[in-house]
Amino acid sequence: MKQNHITDLLDKEPLASLSEQELAAIREHVKNCTACAGAYQAAQLSELLVKERVAEITEPSPFFHTRVMAAWREQQATNQGSVFARWWKPARALVSALALTTAALAALTFTIPESASQPAVETIAESTVLGVENEGQMTEDQMLSAMYVDEEEAP
Amino acid sequence: MQKASAQDDAAFAEIVSRYSPRVFRVASRFFRQRSLVEEAAQEVFLKAFTQLESFEGRGALEGWLTRIATNTCLNMIRASKRRPEMTAADLNEEQMDWLGHKQSMLAGEEHRSTENRVVAADLAERLLETLSAEDRLAVTMIDGEGASVKEVANTTGWSESKVKVRAFRARKRLREAMDKLLKRAG
Repeated sequence: MKQNHITDLLDKEPLASLSEQELAAIREHVKNCTACAGAYQAAQLSELLVKERVAEITEPSPFFHTRVMAAWREQQATNQGSVFARWWKPARALVSALALTTAALAALTFTIPESASQPAVETIAESTVLGVENEGQMTEDQMLSAMYVDEEEAP
Repeated sequence: MQKASAQDDAAFAEIVSRYSPRVFRVASRFFRQRSLVEEAAQEVFLKAFTQLESFEGRGALEGWLTRIATNTCLNMIRASKRRPEMTAADLNEEQMDWLGHKQSMLAGEEHRSTENRVVAADLAERLLETLSAEDRLAVTMIDGEGASVKEVANTTGWSESKVKVRAFRARKRLREAMDKLLKRAG
């Protein structure tokens, strides 16, 4: 009967951890069960192999430290690049808006018709020739002529 | 900034020097090829140092690094998806001889020579490669290193019952694979 076989017992724990009672039951069973005898031998061998494999440990080579330090510095350099990228992402919209505004202003400056700006230029040139410093301020001569005109026009 | 960077460099170098043997020991459970062990160890240190802020200082740094190393190696094995089925036809002559002399192996005599140990480790690796990464870890730590179920649970973050199930399943698979090999070799 299957429940009397010892394979579950073999797989339950490492063989060295089984109790004396359990080991005795296994030994007793394998005397009369060829299948379980084979399974017991296979369990012993596979456990032995796992132990052999675990005993084999790769030690760090003398170059490992240098190699890992180089990789660390490379990662740091990459991270610094990504810090700029993190800063740039939210700032990109603002910088783009500023660039667009500047471009729009430049375009307006150069594309406005000359006639629209002519009077202003002429006024400035006239003021300069006449010696008028400010648009709203009258020169002394202008004030006198204005006064005489008022007197001549008076009855 | 440069000062901070120099301090980081010094701290990183110190951690690598102090804990390399431990990390290599963990990586050796999973990989036999030196290049793979070193690749895993390097990834562990880079990952650990970038996550250093998440180390809360509870327990030893070594334990924290061991957990990172274990998870990193598990992920590397999962990514490689190597779980070849093993048959007697895959074995070389030396491995077949090793199995042929199984009785003296079990008596603990013949396998002690260096050459035989290498053959045994080769064969063990072939068998362990057929397991899932998790099953392999459980059986390697418990049966190979003598760790308790609780220790494996602490290292992996699994429940103790999960560790027991993994180890049970691994032993069963290894035993069945070995049984087949013995029948064909014998």
